[in-house]
Amino acid sequence: MSEEGLDPVIHAPARLRIMVTLAALHDGDDLSFTKLQDLIGLTPGNLITHLRKLEDAGYVTTEKTARTSVALTHAGRAALERYTTVLRHLLDSASQPAAPDAGYPARPAAVNPDDVAPHPGA
Amino acid sequence: MNEHAGMTGMDDASGTDDATPMAAAEAAVIMQQAGERARRQFRVSHRVTFTIWGLGLLLGYGAMWLTVRGQRPFHGPPPAAFAVVALLGAGSVMSGVAEARADSGVGGLSAIRRRIHFLGVLAGLGAMFALEGALVHAGASRPVVGVFEASAPVLVAGLFYFITSAVWLDWPVFGLGVWLVVVAAVGGFAGPAGVWGVDALAAGLAYLLMAAIEPRLRRS
Repeated sequence: MSEEGLDPVIHAPARLRIMVTLAALHDGDDLSFTKLQDLIGLTPGNLITHLRKLEDAGYVTTEKTARTSVALTHAGRAALERYTTVLRHLLDSASQPAAPDAGYPARPAAVNPDDVAPHPGA
Repeated sequence: MNEHAGMTGMDDASGTDDATPMAAAEAAVIMQQAGERARRQFRVSHRVTFTIWGLGLLLGYGAMWLTVRGQRPFHGPPPAAFAVVALLGAGSVMSGVAEARADSGVGGLSAIRRRIHFLGVLAGLGAMFALEGALVHAGASRPVVGVFEASAPVLVAGLFYFITSAVWLDWPVFGLGVWLVVVAAVGGFAGPAGVWGVDALAAGLAYLLMAAIEPRLRRS
C-alpha cells in the first residue's frame, strides 16, 4: 500500500503524535512545552525540531511568555483532518477482500471516532 | 522557549524520524494511542469535587440540623456550628486545586473559563453572606434568615453547575444543577430547622451519587 497522498509534514511518528495530542485540546487551548514533551516522550531538542517543521508549515504556533506554550492552528487541525481522511481511504483499500494476503497488518480494533481507523473490529 | 533555551537548541536532530518509513497501519495505531493518552490526560474529573461537596453538605448540614431541630422558638444554629461555612469554603478550595492539577499544562481558554467559574462560586458565596447581613439589618426574623442561610449556598452551587454545563455541554452536571436549584427552592418549605436536614440529604446524596457514577458517565 502506498502512503502517497499523506501529508509528509504530518506523516512522521513524532509529528503525528504531536498533532494528535494537540488536537485533543479544546479550541483556544494550548499546552506547555514541558507537558507536551512529557506526553510525547521526546528530548527537548527533538521536540523543537519537529515543532519547527510543524510551525513552518503553519500547523502549530508556539508562544513564549512566562511559559512556552504550543497550540494547533486552524490550518493544522484542517491538515490533520485531511491526513485522517487519506489514511482512512488507504486502510479501507488495504482491507478489500481482493487482497486478503497482502501481508498487511490488521487494522487496530479499538477505534475512537475521533481517531482514524474506520470500522472497529474489521 | 524558556524551558529549552530557544528553538535553536537541537540536541539530537538525528533522532528525528523523517527518514523512518511509516506504514498507514502504524500511523493509525499511533493516532489511536496518542489520542487516547491525550484525552485521558486532559480529561478533568469532577469526582473529587463532588465527593468533597457531598460529604460537606451531608455532614455539615446534618450537623446544623442536629443543633437546630426542636428549637422552640427558633433561634438558629450556635455560632460554632458555622464551621460548616469553613467546611464548604475549604471544600471549594480543595476542589479548585484538584481540578487545576488535573489540567496542569493546559492553558488558554479552558484555563481561563475554569478560573472564572471558581471565582464565580466564591463571589456567589460571599454575596450570599452579605445579603444575609442585609436581611438581618432590614429586620428579617431569625427563622427567615435561617431558611436563607441554608438554602442560598445550595442555590449558588446549582446555578454554578447550570453555567458550567452550558459552557461544556455536560449533561450530567446540568442534571445536578437542576436538582440543586429545585432542592434550594423547595427545601425551605421544611422550615428553618428542617431545611438543613432536607438539604443535607437531597443535595449531599446527589453529589455523592454523581461522584459514584461520574467515571461511568465519562466512559459512555
